[in-house]
Amino acid sequence: MISTDATCAGTAATPKDFKSPLKPIWCPGCGDYGVLNALYRALAAIGRPPHEIAFVSGIGCSSRIPGYTTAYGFNTVHGRALPIAQGIKLANPELLVLVAGGDGDGFSIGGGHVPHAIRRNADLTYIVMDNQVYGLTKGQVSPTSPRGTRARSSVYGSMESPVNPLLYTLAYGAGFVAQGIPGDMDGLAAIIEEGIRYPGFAFINVQSPCVSFGEPDNQVKVQRTRMRKLAAEGHDPSNRLRAIELAQDYGQELYTGVFYRNPNPPPTHGSQIKALQDERKALKAGVTPTLSASDTHPTCC
Amino acid sequence: MNDLIIGMAGSGGDGIISAGESLIGAVAAEGYYGMLTKSYGPQIRGGESSCRLRVSTLPVLNPGGSLDVAVILDWDDFLRFGSELPVTEDTVIIFDLKSGVDRTSLPLNALWPKVLCGVPLEDMAIETAGVQQAKNSVILGLLAGWLGLSPDNLLVGLRKKFARKGDEVLAGNERAFAAGLGHARVNPLGRNLRLDRPATPLKQRIIADGNELCAKGAIAAGCTFFGGYPITPATEIMQHLQTDIWEHGGVVLQAEDEIAGVGAALGASFAGKKAMTATSGPGLSLKTEMLGLASVTELPLVCVDVQRGGPSTGMPTKCEQADLFAAVFSAHGDTVRPVLAPTTVADTYGLTVEAFNLAEQYQTPVILLSDQDIAQRKEIIDPVDPSRLSLVNRLEPTAAELQDYTRFRLTSSGISPLSHPGMKGGNYLAAGIEHDEHGAPTANGEIHGEMNHKRLVKFLPLRGRHDLFVMEGNPDSPLGIIAWGSVAGIAQEALRIVRAEGLDARLMIPKLLYPIAEEVFADFFAPLTRCIVFEQSHQGQLYRLIRMWVNVPPQFESYARSGANPLSPEDFVSQIRKLSRAGLRKEHADRADFLNPL
Repeated sequence: MISTDATCAGTAATPKDFKSPLKPIWCPGCGDYGVLNALYRALAAIGRPPHEIAFVSGIGCSSRIPGYTTAYGFNTVHGRALPIAQGIKLANPELLVLVAGGDGDGFSIGGGHVPHAIRRNADLTYIVMDNQVYGLTKGQVSPTSPRGTRARSSVYGSMESPVNPLLYTLAYGAGFVAQGIPGDMDGLAAIIEEGIRYPGFAFINVQSPCVSFGEPDNQVKVQRTRMRKLAAEGHDPSNRLRAIELAQDYGQELYTGVFYRNPNPPPTHGSQIKALQDERKALKAGVTPTLSASDTHPTCC
Repeated sequence: MNDLIIGMAGSGGDGIISAGESLIGAVAAEGYYGMLTKSYGPQIRGGESSCRLRVSTLPVLNPGGSLDVAVILDWDDFLRFGSELPVTEDTVIIFDLKSGVDRTSLPLNALWPKVLCGVPLEDMAIETAGVQQAKNSVILGLLAGWLGLSPDNLLVGLRKKFARKGDEVLAGNERAFAAGLGHARVNPLGRNLRLDRPATPLKQRIIADGNELCAKGAIAAGCTFFGGYPITPATEIMQHLQTDIWEHGGVVLQAEDEIAGVGAALGASFAGKKAMTATSGPGLSLKTEMLGLASVTELPLVCVDVQRGGPSTGMPTKCEQADLFAAVFSAHGDTVRPVLAPTTVADTYGLTVEAFNLAEQYQTPVILLSDQDIAQRKEIIDPVDPSRLSLVNRLEPTAAELQDYTRFRLTSSGISPLSHPGMKGGNYLAAGIEHDEHGAPTANGEIHGEMNHKRLVKFLPLRGRHDLFVMEGNPDSPLGIIAWGSVAGIAQEALRIVRAEGLDARLMIPKLLYPIAEEVFADFFAPLTRCIVFEQSHQGQLYRLIRMWVNVPPQFESYARSGANPLSPEDFVSQIRKLSRAGLRKEHADRADFLNPL
């Protein structure tokens, strides 16, 4: 990839700095375009230069997204973006590490990795483009498809209840859980920026409609009329129990905004490892280690 | 005598393994070489356990065949190990009189050992220490007396072991030891078991197993990231790394599964670090997709597979060399990845470093194919000198190349400079999807062909890596032997035996198993009319792999046995003798008929 790594300290970044010359393969009208544009805006606001960003994805339409940015991209195998991203972040904690993929990638084939990234409090921002269908393989039910969905792999209607990504991540203890829609570009860009700034595991579910195989009554424009902004509803994002209550309505109500943000973020996985490395190095050098118990998370933004 | 093999068996809790460990520590302190192998039943606690210790004045090549000494606390436990603890009529049998067995009722299938020595082990333990658990200390005393080992060296180990259990327990065990020693002094055996003094001057040696030296080799190679998941018999690699990787700024991640372990390691490699994962057969199957990703994104990665009995769960605590096909072929698409196999505990150190070097040099996953035997046996070895290692680091782009960086540039060597996140101007997309020189996804057949060529042509230099092969014996002999992994040491001893008998032969030990080094094999095969491949698998996997790639001598034979069936130098000697005679019949130890109709 020839990148235009123009941003550097002192120069204000613009969304264009993060746009790669590759043209997305997505269908016209796909929600993922909106996610990509919101991401450009969030990254410009954060201001880290593209070469300090690693963007990891799995497999699926949405997992093509790293290639459309000027960051270091890693388009990996199906469902395994989270472990690879954790390896990157632990190997170089200075990097800003983003993870993206679809609902099948994150909650079906890769579902086993989500709880562990959360319980380690890996310092990653995980954006799931949840379209409730397998689009790349042309329309099969996905883990978030509503029960009874008629798709190519379930012509008589699916028999499984959907996974609830919001409830799932909240239940495992994610410190930041939010939801957005591509139709609300300002809101989505703000959520992504806030997720990146959160020191720890941040989960952002984007209800990103599939224009080719998704439900006609759940497309970008319709979504905009259905969305209910959590902030406008007076939700306090530090209230985890209320967030869990609201998250129950996944599939019925289209809430957008931050469900939960831990007001006292626990130490990240990386900061604990850094502390252990410093302690062992000091012991080896014969120096009495002076350890602070506090989170030594570097402010990345 | 200069070489002695002792086998011991009892119930879990009898302290058989711990007696073996005390013994190897004591013989190391006296300047001997040694090798300790352990074998257990499938139980986590209790059940039967055994160990064999081979002591020699010269470096020990393998655990050996029949026992010179068998120490039997419980006959049922002993017999459960079957061919792992083979006895002959020359074996000195030492057993607990408590077992009720006497000369007339030996459960040894009409085998009558010349020297049979019943000792009231349990009674002596209770008398001296008050508990029957001190039996192993009695045994150590007996062996110190009969083998002529310094009691002081054994007491050092005993004191270390019981330091945490309090003075009373230690004193009891010291009395039990003294009782054993006294018993040996007043009851000489019918056979002299006293070892010659070590031939080499006493040097500071270390006792280590293969898994430990794999971990140490990784650190020496500059590995700063390990991702893995517990699996027998590879877990100790993660455990050993865990103790000292942090001070090197490294990380050990015990992942949620095998896939996440290799995935995190691959991520770390993408981020510019030397990274490793380790597993056994079932884990290798799980990691396969990720290894394919490492191949296509051309990222360095070391994957250790400590082979155990398979397929599936198989026999996790037993040795087998049956993952070779999986290591070589278990990736879809036209992938090639180097596969290396260490032959001894000490060799594991250097070959782990070599695995990292190949991974970095060729930007590829490398599989280090260890096995349960090498990984878990303890050997007394000369210390390794890390200062003599040469380390290879990945080719990074120059400042000029970063002006117009092309990650997958087609070069004549197939190797193109590799950047990593944080490197300004090096930004690229690493993708499992086929890509052009810039990393942009493509479905163009022409580009796919060029990229496949790039990813394979870079391995051509491996065809002539003579240094990854050990050759022994007469280069002009028409009789060839090939063996790899832990079996190599058995073949080495067999070769020395037949050569001492005047039979000429040439042995090749490949440490690079794949890609098949065509030049090296062609050179080795040139003077041969007959050749035999020794290995511990049912199909004879290396034998078949070689036939796939190179022209073999007119008579090319396989001697292969399924795992957990011990192979011995005597066994190989008889096969080599047979091969040396004209008109050799096709003999295969336990080969399925459909593969080799007789």
